[in-house]
Amino acid sequence: MFKNAFRTLQKSKLKTFLIYFSLTFSIASMFLISSISHGIIGMYSTMLQTDGDIIVTQKKIADTFFSDVDIKLLQSIKKIPHVSSASAMILGASPVETLPIVAVYGVTQNRFHNYKLLQGVYPQQNQALIGTSIYKQLSDKTKIQIANKTFQISGVFKSEIGFENGGIVLNIKDAGAIFHKSASILLLTTNLNANIETIIQTIKKLDDNIDVKSTNSFVKNYNQFKIIQTSSNLISFLAFVMGLISIISIMSITVAQRESEFGIMRAIGISMKKIVWSLLVEALILGLSSFVSAYLFSLVLLAIIKHTPSLQGYVNGVISLELFLWIFVSSLLMVTLGSIFPALKAAKTDPILLIQGNKS
Amino acid sequence: MITARTISHRYNNDLALKKTSLHIAKGEFVAFTGESGSGKSTLLSILSTLLTPTEGDVFFLGKKVQEIHDIDTFRKENIGFIFQFHYLIDYLNVKENLKIADNSISDARVQTLTQKLGIEQLLEKYPNELSGGQRQRVAIVRALINKPKVVFADEPTGNLDSKNARIVFELFKQLSEEGTTIIVTTHNKQLADFADTIYEVSDGEL
Ligand SMILES: Nc1ncnc2c1ncn2[C@@H]1O[C@H](COP(=O)(O)OP(=O)(O)O)[C@@H](O)[C@H]1O
Ligand SMILES: [Mg+2]
Repeated sequence: MFKNAFRTLQKSKLKTFLIYFSLTFSIASMFLISSISHGIIGMYSTMLQTDGDIIVTQKKIADTFFSDVDIKLLQSIKKIPHVSSASAMILGASPVETLPIVAVYGVTQNRFHNYKLLQGVYPQQNQALIGTSIYKQLSDKTKIQIANKTFQISGVFKSEIGFENGGIVLNIKDAGAIFHKSASILLLTTNLNANIETIIQTIKKLDDNIDVKSTNSFVKNYNQFKIIQTSSNLISFLAFVMGLISIISIMSITVAQRESEFGIMRAIGISMKKIVWSLLVEALILGLSSFVSAYLFSLVLLAIIKHTPSLQGYVNGVISLELFLWIFVSSLLMVTLGSIFPALKAAKTDPILLIQGNKS
Repeated sequence: MITARTISHRYNNDLALKKTSLHIAKGEFVAFTGESGSGKSTLLSILSTLLTPTEGDVFFLGKKVQEIHDIDTFRKENIGFIFQFHYLIDYLNVKENLKIADNSISDARVQTLTQKLGIEQLLEKYPNELSGGQRQRVAIVRALINKPKVVFADEPTGNLDSKNARIVFELFKQLSEEGTTIIVTTHNKQLADFADTIYEVSDGEL
């Protein structure tokens, strides 16, 4: 059975390669688009969830970049029972030296410990702490120009989160001067026995212009994530359909070319089940090899992307087990559907018409 | 063995077979003759379960063909086919082609039949390495290999010289004397004379 499958695949090398390549490309695009969007969402949510059970943003804001909240609120928030810590962040992006756009974080001092120092110390006023990816690209390692200001470099940090590793951390006052706000978001942690909902309600009463959410629900409902997720799902789906269409069309041509072979097989007593099965085995061999190639290709490409200096580590795809299995199942589905439909059509035709190559 | 009741067949709108009825007994050697286009192949295809008639019923071994559950396996167990063109599977060698439907066929059986038709040297060859006549003889061996109860042959000797054609029809005659039902089409009147019963097909009618 497998021997024959390999023989027929070998017999029409061009067809085999066409299916193999189109499958590999569509599976690889599913891998890449999904893993990159998962990566982006994952990195950003991890960042917000660090030292943040509850997040305070400006009301009705489309993106945290545009958010503007008054840092003075921190004083009142800290006094709320069960709030164990509160910090503020400015999330901004600005040209740095010759790089067109770099993430710049202004943070209150109580957040500094989240950035793991590789060398130097945490920044004072007019000093900057530099992420590893950016540091590597600097020619002058002592000072750095952000927007139109120059900062002394106080140290270098390393982070697993690509957005941080390719970013710069400043004192929140310095960042405020660049981005013209006192804070973008406030993040607070609570005691274990705290009732998050009551705290949220209490904070909401402090200011009419703010929105307060648990960080988990913020991440879940964040529109930017939904947009990324939806477009990635859509593109993955399109890749799936493209793969499906190409395998169905190539398989239909194959089956049509081999109609007389199938007709003769049925005439001499090979059941259609066996014929469909042998087509399926051929398709599965193709599907599995395309899946493996696409997976390896994606890993290599993601590694290259991750280490491309100009991307500053912002694009960081992760292929989770779940994603792996999901795409694996999709690939098998693709080849199964793609080969079964043309085969079933052949099964419904009288053998003699298959043998004669009747096309009506 | 086989009974056809008022079978008709239409291809699109062309009536190729007109309300034909006939009965074929066990061990009978039947030949259909007639001009090209008269409907011989259509009739043979319907009798042999390979084509569903537009109207009428065929009973095979007492069973209504359309009601046979696994018709492909039924064919394997009861019917051998020889087609006008040899139709071997091109990626399998001769031996594999012979054993394709039933891998349990003994080598001795393969040996006996291939010797009878003078192709015992060709077992390891692929169809595209054979001449037309050799391929036709492989197809004949394939049809007979699992000792079918009925053998259908549509112009089986079209690719053979008259000497080999006679060998094939003598083999059919011998098989029918041993109890195998043989149903062939041919436009060669001399070869048709080997048969017990000769039907003249003309314009879709017997
Ligand atoms: N698959 C087909 N589709 C349409 N017409 C067909 C088909 N097969 C045969 N015919 C037509 O049916 C008639 C009988 O053909 P056939 O049974 O092959 O005759 P014979 O075998 O005696 O030459 C012819 O007119 C032929 O053109
Ligand atoms: Mg004919």
